[in-house]
Amino acid sequence: MSAETDDSGVLRSILPPEQVDRAFETCDNHGWKLLVAGAVVGVLPPLLGLEAGYFMTVLTEMYLFGVLALSWDIVGGQTGYPSFGNMAFFGIGAYTTAILTKDFAVAFPLAFLSAGVVATAFALIIGLIVLRLRGHYFAIATLGVLLAAQQVSRNLSITGGASGKILLQTPPGEVFYYVFLGILVLEAAVIYYLSSTRFGFVLNAIRDDEAKATAMGFNTTYYKTAAWGLAALFTGAAGGAYGLFNTFINPQTAYNAAWNVELIAMALLGGSGTVVGPIIGAFGLHTVIEIVESYAVGWQLVLLGLAIIGTVIAIPEGIVGALREYASEMDYYERGGMAATDETDAEPSDDGAPTGGDPQ
Amino acid sequence: MAATQFVVNGLLVGALFAGIAVGFALIWGVVDIINLAHGEMVMLGGYTSYWTLTLITGNAEGSPLLFLATIPVAIGAMFVVGYALQRVLVSRVIGTDIFLTLLVTFGASIAIQQLALQAWSANPRAIQVSFANPSLTIAGIVVPKMKLVAFVGAIVLTAALYLFLQRTRTGRAIRAVSQNPEAAALVGIDVERTRAITFGVSSAIAGGIGAFVATILNIQPQMGLIYTLKSFVIVVFGGVGSIPGALVGGLLLGSVEELVAGFISTRWTLAVSFSLLIVLLVVKPKGLFGEGVSE
Repeated sequence: MSAETDDSGVLRSILPPEQVDRAFETCDNHGWKLLVAGAVVGVLPPLLGLEAGYFMTVLTEMYLFGVLALSWDIVGGQTGYPSFGNMAFFGIGAYTTAILTKDFAVAFPLAFLSAGVVATAFALIIGLIVLRLRGHYFAIATLGVLLAAQQVSRNLSITGGASGKILLQTPPGEVFYYVFLGILVLEAAVIYYLSSTRFGFVLNAIRDDEAKATAMGFNTTYYKTAAWGLAALFTGAAGGAYGLFNTFINPQTAYNAAWNVELIAMALLGGSGTVVGPIIGAFGLHTVIEIVESYAVGWQLVLLGLAIIGTVIAIPEGIVGALREYASEMDYYERGGMAATDETDAEPSDDGAPTGGDPQ
Repeated sequence: MAATQFVVNGLLVGALFAGIAVGFALIWGVVDIINLAHGEMVMLGGYTSYWTLTLITGNAEGSPLLFLATIPVAIGAMFVVGYALQRVLVSRVIGTDIFLTLLVTFGASIAIQQLALQAWSANPRAIQVSFANPSLTIAGIVVPKMKLVAFVGAIVLTAALYLFLQRTRTGRAIRAVSQNPEAAALVGIDVERTRAITFGVSSAIAGGIGAFVATILNIQPQMGLIYTLKSFVIVVFGGVGSIPGALVGGLLLGSVEELVAGFISTRWTLAVSFSLLIVLLVVKPKGLFGEGVSE
């Protein structure tokens, strides 16, 4: 992962280095406070009288995508196994809740929890197979899993076939607002906690050099399967809630391959391998997509494709990655990097415009 | 008896899959990326042929010769698109994380697909060729004439690619780059240009076959992903970088799909293909003919 971010020139003109530096120090030391603050801010809107309606729905969807992007990042960003099939867990979760609540009259909370469990069970079985693959092969195999799951759902009768299921008896919209916010906060807390434990370190070690991690005596299969299961748990739960939130699911919406790309783009745009990056990316990109959806119907996927291409080419490390790079560069610059001429610092100004890549 | 009929159908369609997969395998082998926009080249090729024919005749119907005349147009257009795709996008991410190359081509695939959707709507379209009916019957087996034409066309295009790679100077350069880009550069081959030509040629073959697809199956803007994945199945089966492998793989995949469609139901063909992909990846990732590539 050699960083070719020579964007420091543009960034330096926008953000004073000390502030960026300080912000990241703050984040590192006070991540939990940040998380609690975020949760409190998240809880406020309905209490302050924001009625169920358009903005409420947009916020709810933002949290949903936050969960999806963060879940993808556990395996894609932290462990380095780029999955194109996470939406399979989502779809399985969605169908689990739909079938349980509609055909078996199970109460929503129980159905919702089952969705996470069923998706995790599926992930562990599939994981045993696909996690043996790496790189291209893994990416395509997971895409195959997603499409196979979609086809199977389309052909079974219990899932309602191609026409799907309509779910009319659903909890009110506010419930989903808190459900998705809750999953997101819980997930961020879990990942933040794990990133300071051996579990998190081993995941990153697998990403950087799996052979070496194995040689050091870690059972990498166990770690990556666990990460995969964890991603499925949250994705499946989100899918379980989404089915009822949307009041309708069919194979197309439940196993949405375009969403799968969208959530990867979110994680990458924000900065994969971090906790805050995928969330920033999800909120930012969803806002943009929402705006495009309102003003230029039908073009949001064109934009998505272009956004992905732009991100990958301009800021492959994502917003957080680019900022962090910049901060550490400044650190180096100020505390003893003076003797050696750093090449990235030497010619920072010949950079194209797209770096700014609006964070929100 | 029915089984023979299904296998014949499968072989006829399988040649198209094989031709598409050959291009996919070539890009994988030479440029070392998985081009997730490969299926879009098939789609665009089909549309190019469709619109060229419409331009000439007013509706997408024509004599066999007129239809065949549109194929060079599709091939030429797709060469340009493929060449540009490599030059403008892919060359910027080569050598970085493979995941980024996947994302760039997937991004291109989505953008192309959605632009096509905006331009031409989601309605499936097909090219009508006037001599298609009635079908031939050989020894009790029904052979639709257009499928036969498409079969021959796909084989011819694949063979032309093979000869191009074996006999021409550019072809040799392509093979050299696939084996060792650094060494190729040392002996004076312009690696970047060779890669762009590879991309162009692969896309051109896919586009040409897309025109045949438009005569026997439908074309619509979102068809691409399925063809990309089928190509992947075929290449994994046949082995990366092996044209005979891709040919055998394509014919086999076609037959398996037709057998599933015939004996079970057409609804299960895709599920079976994708499951086959996963099984193959796990059981035999190096393929039948491939020597195995490092990841």
